[in-house]
Amino acid sequence: MNLLSHLRDIWNVSCIEFRRIFSDGGVVLLFCIATLLYPFIFGAVYSGEMVRNLPIAVVDESHCEESQRFIRKLDATPEMNVCYDCNTLQEAQTLMRMRKINGIVYFPADYGNRLAHLETARASLFCDMSSFLYYRSVLSGASAVLLDEIQHIETDRFGRTGITGENAEQLVEPIPYDDVKLYISNGGFGSFLIPALLILVLHQTLFLGMGILYGTSREQNLSVESIPIHLRGRSVFRVVIGRALTYFAIYVPMTAIVLLLFPRLFQLPHIGNISSLVLFLIPFLLATIFFCMTICNFVRARDTGVVVCIFFSVILVFLSGAVWPQAAMPKFWLYFSYIFPSTHGIQGFIRINSMGADLSQVKFEYLMLWAQAGVYFVTATSIFRTLCRHKSVKGSDIHADGLNPEA
Amino acid sequence: MNRFAQSLHLELRHIKKRPRYLILTTLGIVFSYVFFLTFMSEGQPERLPIAVVDHDASYLSRRLCHEINATQGVEVVAVYNNHSQARQAMQRQEIFAFLEIPKGTYSDILSFKRPHIALYANNTYLLGGSFTYKSLATISRLASGAVQREILRKKGYTDQAISGMIQPIELDTHTLSNPTANYQPYILTTMLPGIIGLMTLLMSVFVIHNELKRSPTGRLREMRDYPISSIWGQLFPYTFWFSLLMIMGNVVLFGFFHFTLLGSFWTLVIASVLFIVALQSMAVFLVGLLPDMHIAVCIGAIYGTLAFTMSGFSFPVCSMPSYMQGFSAIFPLRHYYLTCSEVAYFDSPAVQYLPHLVVLLAFTAMSFVGMMLIRKQINNRVSCLQ
Repeated sequence: MNLLSHLRDIWNVSCIEFRRIFSDGGVVLLFCIATLLYPFIFGAVYSGEMVRNLPIAVVDESHCEESQRFIRKLDATPEMNVCYDCNTLQEAQTLMRMRKINGIVYFPADYGNRLAHLETARASLFCDMSSFLYYRSVLSGASAVLLDEIQHIETDRFGRTGITGENAEQLVEPIPYDDVKLYISNGGFGSFLIPALLILVLHQTLFLGMGILYGTSREQNLSVESIPIHLRGRSVFRVVIGRALTYFAIYVPMTAIVLLLFPRLFQLPHIGNISSLVLFLIPFLLATIFFCMTICNFVRARDTGVVVCIFFSVILVFLSGAVWPQAAMPKFWLYFSYIFPSTHGIQGFIRINSMGADLSQVKFEYLMLWAQAGVYFVTATSIFRTLCRHKSVKGSDIHADGLNPEA
Repeated sequence: MNRFAQSLHLELRHIKKRPRYLILTTLGIVFSYVFFLTFMSEGQPERLPIAVVDHDASYLSRRLCHEINATQGVEVVAVYNNHSQARQAMQRQEIFAFLEIPKGTYSDILSFKRPHIALYANNTYLLGGSFTYKSLATISRLASGAVQREILRKKGYTDQAISGMIQPIELDTHTLSNPTANYQPYILTTMLPGIIGLMTLLMSVFVIHNELKRSPTGRLREMRDYPISSIWGQLFPYTFWFSLLMIMGNVVLFGFFHFTLLGSFWTLVIASVLFIVALQSMAVFLVGLLPDMHIAVCIGAIYGTLAFTMSGFSFPVCSMPSYMQGFSAIFPLRHYYLTCSEVAYFDSPAVQYLPHLVVLLAFTAMSFVGMMLIRKQINNRVSCLQ
């Protein structure tokens, strides 16, 4: 009987919360539309995955066969196109300043001579550093050509000394290495960043939506009044559970679309086991909901809620360790990042979804999320209870407002 | 001008009465500067954990571990006996890459067979994966070089001849305006102004909406009849304050942290002010377009956060699909990023960056569209009140 009344209370609170959410256009916009809109925009923006065909200029002062071969190979790389053949370095630098090119390869006049004399020839590469990906593409393209060219010339040189065939091969590369780029073989930017952003979208829309909802009800003095009077004391946990269930119910389909359907739709990495993913996402959603409830209890006005939540969006991407490795983070910020469910959510999701890890391999994140769910449930309940007590001390204004607590 | 001063005075009084929002946003901005500048203080990730799968357990494999540990970028945190252990460690995120040395590598080298080693890098983490990959590939090539050198020495070549033989070409890499390939300038010169811009946008939406909500009919009429002076008068304290924060932020980045600034700082100052004004103009437009404040704030938040993606400082706009490239132009942050990189990295001639500044200035036109829409809203309100 007691349990039944608990369940009825929880159900009632859920219904009230549900109505509250769907009567606020801004919250619906965030919960339902923004959650689906962001992934599509990210999917479209990063669909190219790689930075290819960057225009570069070459300055060939040696005009030898080797430099020309080098240039032809540069042009053949997927990363760059040789668009300008300049006479002087200055000319190429002017092109760089005019932002026509993203890199310059320079062969000095003695390039061919040095090679002919079996010495080390020097060439120079100038990279546009205005974006990390320009630098990465130009450098990786040029390095690949450099390695190939070194092997070509070495084979030739050994041939002149009488070392040919298998012997030459053995000498040119005595310990060949195979490089295997695991999980995202093309090194695509979208495949790397979008999984982290997807978790963040869920986290932040929930955070922002709840911030707005709580802020609005505080503004209108409804945060406590909107719940039945008998639940404002010791039984306040039923309110927290009831409300959490509402958000959970709304976010389960959203999460399924964003995290399960979306990666398959946009050809992003999705080698994870679905049951591991589902088991992992349950504590993530709970931890996020209770975390947002805890923080949002401090939001006094709608405007403050938005500012606080939005402000954290950018910082959370970096705290998650998806961009800047956790191993290289200052210890203080690493521990600070453990406060947020998004950190563990992103780490766990990337590993399960993109790397095929199972639950035991994300044990730390999984347990942290459950711990967060527990801790934030307690904090959300106790803070809300304090709010209720605070209200009941000033209880007279409930009647002064003329509000029906059961409404 | 008088009306401008009046509105300004009115807004200053509001700020004095409720300074909370302005203090909160300012603290947030200061926090993000402190956060990002301390967070990536190394500039490049260092001592990233990697592992070695050593099937060979020979002098060579131990030597390789020492060589790897001597580099700055990576550190061997574990030596495993088999591939699956290493792969699992990677999935537990304990290592970013591993080098697999097959059985008999050392004896193969001694007997002139070419043993293959393999290196595995985790590409799900862009920075971690590419830095560790680069370090391990360098080590593998150096190992090959060492063996070549030994063999050629045995064949009787002099050291000078050997270095010409085994390194026929050297490629000097010049990372223009960022000699240490520091990761901070890429991110911070655009992201931190972006955060200030986001705050400006949201703050301006609140301020105008609040003014519309709480003003008496007289003030509403004034806003309707003289929208430019009254609305900009009201926004001016924020224009001033956020521009000042941006300029101070740039002083911190380019002054105290010595990020390369080849061009004139004053161009950046102009760009900063125009950037703030552009975002405020977009705020006026949003308020005009969306009479419901709650919706306006939410749309503002969505628009504001998308700016980080669309500005192209992380993923270049030229690699986005063409329909997205056009879309990127509606974000002032995009134009600020372009101006800033041209001025700071390249000291490009004015012809290069002026168009971006003109576009930023053109955003002001949006505020006029917004004002027209606001006038219509006020007209409806006033006629209802009458």
